[in-house]
Amino acid sequence: MIRSPSNSVLVTLMLAALLTLLAVDVATLQPNRIVAGEGYSLRAIMGLDGLLLSLLPFMFATWLAWFANARRYVVIVVILLVYWVSWPWGMSLFAQAMIEPGQQAARVGIGPGLWVLLFLLLLMVLEVQTRLGMPHLGRWLLWSAILVSVAVPFWSGVLNDLALVREYQGNADDFAAALQYHTLLVGAVVVISLTLAVAMALAMRSHDGLKRSVFAILSVIQTIPSLALFGLLLAPLAWLSSQFPLLADLGVQGIGWAPAALALIGYSLLPMTRNTYVALDSIDPNVTEAARGMGMSRWQVFFHVRLPLALPVIVEGIRITSVQAIGLAAVAALIGAGGLGTFVFQGLGQAAMDLVLLGAVPIIVMAVLVDMALSGLAAVCRRGVANAEP
Amino acid sequence: MSVRRSNMRLILWGLMLTAAVLVIPHLDVLFRLWLPDAREVIYRRDSFVSLLGNHLAIVTAAGLIATLLGVGAGIAVTRHWGKDFLPLVAQLASIGQTFPPVAVLALSVPALGFGTLPTIIALVLYGLLPIVRNTLAGLQGIDDDVMEAARGMGMSSLQRLWQVELPLSSDIILAGIRTSVTINIATAAIGSTIGAKTLGDPLIAGIVNGNGAYVIQGAIVIALLALCVDSLFERIGCALPSYDQGRI
Repeated sequence: MIRSPSNSVLVTLMLAALLTLLAVDVATLQPNRIVAGEGYSLRAIMGLDGLLLSLLPFMFATWLAWFANARRYVVIVVILLVYWVSWPWGMSLFAQAMIEPGQQAARVGIGPGLWVLLFLLLLMVLEVQTRLGMPHLGRWLLWSAILVSVAVPFWSGVLNDLALVREYQGNADDFAAALQYHTLLVGAVVVISLTLAVAMALAMRSHDGLKRSVFAILSVIQTIPSLALFGLLLAPLAWLSSQFPLLADLGVQGIGWAPAALALIGYSLLPMTRNTYVALDSIDPNVTEAARGMGMSRWQVFFHVRLPLALPVIVEGIRITSVQAIGLAAVAALIGAGGLGTFVFQGLGQAAMDLVLLGAVPIIVMAVLVDMALSGLAAVCRRGVANAEP
Repeated sequence: MSVRRSNMRLILWGLMLTAAVLVIPHLDVLFRLWLPDAREVIYRRDSFVSLLGNHLAIVTAAGLIATLLGVGAGIAVTRHWGKDFLPLVAQLASIGQTFPPVAVLALSVPALGFGTLPTIIALVLYGLLPIVRNTLAGLQGIDDDVMEAARGMGMSSLQRLWQVELPLSSDIILAGIRTSVTINIATAAIGSTIGAKTLGDPLIAGIVNGNGAYVIQGAIVIALLALCVDSLFERIGCALPSYDQGRI
């Protein structure tokens, strides 16, 4: 793979990044929270000399990509990381230069050019990582470094004048609560649907007719849009809570956490049950037969043979379900279920874009992190299975 | 599923959708029983027919563009001249799918503003991913022997694409388009929070004003639309060249 002399992908991405930096505003200055900011191009901020100087390493990286080999890829990745690490500090300098001490409400924002650049940088790192054929551990270290290098300036106060950080500071308590609530809702949904899925998968193995009807019902639920399912649960739940005061005391209502949790479980059941069923069903009967022959009891066979063999596929089901539930829980904010989606829809309602970002960006980060962690876990389980086989 | 059964399903959901859209505005009395104190129990700011039309137009436009771009990209990166881009595109398609659609929709607002067009663009961007992913899976899943045989018969690369590769992977590509459209119907409903006129309007209005009747009306029509479109895809699947022969 490394042998190919020029990496046209990297060169294309890099040229696109260079053009973006030359043509599109990288930062904005806002007098207050709602007013749209005034854009600044990189050239306006740094002057022509500064612009060329700051792009010089990047052009060097482009040249390296044109004549790529393994060692040059390493240099390229280092240059890319330097750019990735330095943007928050550049933003901080920009804020210091532009905002006078008295302007309490003024703030700086990330301009469209910088968003595009950051996206392209990540794509470039992804491309280099693939070309280098990095091992799992290396990838983890690389992406952790990428995450930490952005998180540190955010927490350390360097970016205190950034609009997103201002928005966070204004909502710090609510944010912590929303994050916790979002995690709790998703966690509870995943645990409950996993339990139900295992029970249903086991029942379906002994009743074939059950299998067809359960999957038919679950796939109809999966097809119904989330907003509609939340809506359809409103009337029945409102009726239940009016009939049974105990439920009302628990907070079960037409809106709020109850319809959100119910709908989320409904959506989670299809991927979870399908994977669990497939996992348990695809085990070679000879293997369990042999285990029985060795004198294992039914329970021992289940816990020592069946479950370990089925685990990778089940974990895969948990991954799909969790990622899906993180997104759907955000929609549930519309029906008053709380969580990070609250910021998104509040921000949309007030046309406060940084509040939208404060909700949407953590939701995406959460989904990607959970996806990475659980696919890592699935890989570990699979390796365990592979090692156990003769 | 047999052709007959999928026909029945499509007709059933289609009739129910049509009935719902036409009948709901006349169910004043019924909803009055449930909410005797509400000022208005039928959503009348727009007719359900026009909302349905708008919703369908947005989803169709986004679906067509995403299909053209997605299948195009999938074909491009599996050709000899585009294969450098294959690893990146494949990874992007699978990582991008972990992004929740509602977050992508929300992020389109700072970038593009409120309205119908930003909604369509967000739907296209998100809808591309499953289509690209499935196109890649379909094209790469074709047996090398089949391609070898096609080459041996003297087919040109374009002929191979049209007569061998695309027909053999049509079911997987269709499944990708189906996933994409299903997600987009749901996301378009949420699009009414960013200013697109869709079937989400009655739902959002109902939630904001605490009017349960609006919520139910919107929810029923959206759900029926989704089921109807889903069974349409089921029916199209039966007509595909790869439907009965199965994959080689």
